[in-house]
Amino acid sequence: MAVVKLDKIVKRYGGGGPVVVEDVDLTIDDGEFMVLLGPSGCGKSTTLRMIAGLETISGGTLSIDGRVVNDVPAKDRDIAMVFQSYALYPHMSVADNLAFGLRRRSIPNAEIERRVKEVAALLGLAPLLTRKPSALSGGQRQRVALGRAMVREPQVFLFDEPLSNLDAALRVNTRSEIIKQHHRLGSTMIYVTHDQVEAMTMGTRICVMNAGKVAQIGAPLDVYWQPANTFVARFLGSPPMNLMDATLAAATRRAASPALDAPLARWSDGVLQARDGRKVTLGVRAEDMAIDHASLDGAPGGRVTGRTIAVEPLGAETLLLLELPGGGEITARLPRHVTATPDQEVVLFFRADAAYLFDAETGDAIAPLETGAAAVRAAVQRRTH
Amino acid sequence: MAATLAAASGRAPLPRLFSRGILALVLGVYTIYQLGPFLWLATMSVRTTAEISADPYAWPSPLHLDQFRTAWVDSDFATYFWNSTLVVVGAVAVLTFIGAAAAHALARYRFRGNRIIYGILFSSIIFPPQITLISLYQILVDYNLYNSLFGLALVYISLQLPLTVYLLEGFFARIPQDLFDAAKMDGYGDLEIFWRIVLPVGMPAIATTLILNFIQLWNEFLFAVVLITDPEKRTLPIGIRAFMGDHFQDIGMIATGVMISVIPVIIVYVFFSEKLIRGMTAGAIK
Repeated sequence: MAVVKLDKIVKRYGGGGPVVVEDVDLTIDDGEFMVLLGPSGCGKSTTLRMIAGLETISGGTLSIDGRVVNDVPAKDRDIAMVFQSYALYPHMSVADNLAFGLRRRSIPNAEIERRVKEVAALLGLAPLLTRKPSALSGGQRQRVALGRAMVREPQVFLFDEPLSNLDAALRVNTRSEIIKQHHRLGSTMIYVTHDQVEAMTMGTRICVMNAGKVAQIGAPLDVYWQPANTFVARFLGSPPMNLMDATLAAATRRAASPALDAPLARWSDGVLQARDGRKVTLGVRAEDMAIDHASLDGAPGGRVTGRTIAVEPLGAETLLLLELPGGGEITARLPRHVTATPDQEVVLFFRADAAYLFDAETGDAIAPLETGAAAVRAAVQRRTH
Repeated sequence: MAATLAAASGRAPLPRLFSRGILALVLGVYTIYQLGPFLWLATMSVRTTAEISADPYAWPSPLHLDQFRTAWVDSDFATYFWNSTLVVVGAVAVLTFIGAAAAHALARYRFRGNRIIYGILFSSIIFPPQITLISLYQILVDYNLYNSLFGLALVYISLQLPLTVYLLEGFFARIPQDLFDAAKMDGYGDLEIFWRIVLPVGMPAIATTLILNFIQLWNEFLFAVVLITDPEKRTLPIGIRAFMGDHFQDIGMIATGVMISVIPVIIVYVFFSEKLIRGMTAGAIK
């Protein structure tokens, strides 16, 4: 078990090549399950490979348990990694795949055999030990890959999108298996994914990355309810958070546009005064939209008007896509009985405390009065109404 | 309905039977085309030249199996066979190891000049090997390697190395990088990864080059006849030529000599053919 610390880590390809990871500061605590989340090409896998020792570090300091390991080869970092492609050795049996890393470390044969059998029993691989990887299903291969990492009993586990090649059902099962093993081992684990469901369900904390930089670090619900910027707001959540252009009026405490009128109850006078008359971006999650004003329970609320582009009945709920008069689209997650015809004018309502405010130029969140755990509690309470 | 009935009665439907029949016919004709000359050679190898001249296609009667003893003992084929084995097995072993190492380096490591080296190697495949003959002869004379099996083996290695590297590089480049990364994470260094991962995983391609090189060099005549003049150091192809005179050709003994020469090729092929097919079709099926 170990603390992994990244201090202003930079990755640049070639001498003056493009910077793919820029000034990443991240501390992963002992026993923590940290998820690096972001879209393709955001630098999350490169960051993981630098931690593994498979990529050189162009700048900054990487330390494991206080020891700087920038120039320590991968084999000497005591780290195990599970790859997206499983990376099982095709010419070896399952047992040999599991034992391969142990043999290099001069561990006695009896101990290797004990560990292999123990891990095989834990992951249900015992009947498959003599098989070659080509004779295994995708799920079995993934379990062998996980077992190969576990059998080494390393300080740190790294996972590079390990569930991407599995079908939906297997993905859920393997996800549970990894969470179970994390609880059992209590090891430090770093997990790379672009799947927000994996991030939300598995991570102790999430580090959202965008364009080589850290966009936000925090507990999954904290990040979901208090996004630091418009990128995080739209990346976490399905459908993504609705973002609407508006002008802020401090005197009336409102953000408005031809389509939108929203009371700003969560921000202090000082914050609103500083942005009086300026363009802002107002965010409302799809699930916080309502088609019936009565559902706000008399709480102060905002409204937005648009024309229907599409209605998507999903059975349990209905997604309504609207086009706003000034441009832009929004999505509302509504009860299943809601219907609308194409190009119909629809008015949607939302509670004032469900609104987020972002700087129109930088995209950074404008902090409300209520932050931290209190904001999460308030959001959850709001959702229960 | 017809298909259903055929399936119910456990028989293949007619169109499938027809296509299988066509396939069997094509394969049968091709097998006869390939096997015919070999069987003819086999029959000639146990017949005398006089018998062959009388009727080239007759079935051997009686069987002159003593021709094999004559070739092996009296015509010194034992020595030629040993010389060929020494030169070819040695050259193929070195070729396989150096070729695989070079191919791995070119396929896996990014270093300055990588593609230039590959280009030079590749370009040497384009030229006919005969143009190097005189130069190689002079070099071998200069280094006291003329008329030596070691010198001939060196020439064979230099002749076949570009093609070997070219074939192996293509295969090795397709081995996923994740396998190398996984082995690194498991604690292995570059040389161990080459030995424990690249060679076993690349075995179909290695077997392919091994068979191709073995057949090519086992039958090689031109360089052997120019660079070896000592009768004690003749290889099999030159030994067979001894049965060819200016006015008389001992067809029966030539056939016997060729049969002796062919046997090791068949043995090598039988042992490695499965891997050869896998190497040839690598990448065709995911």
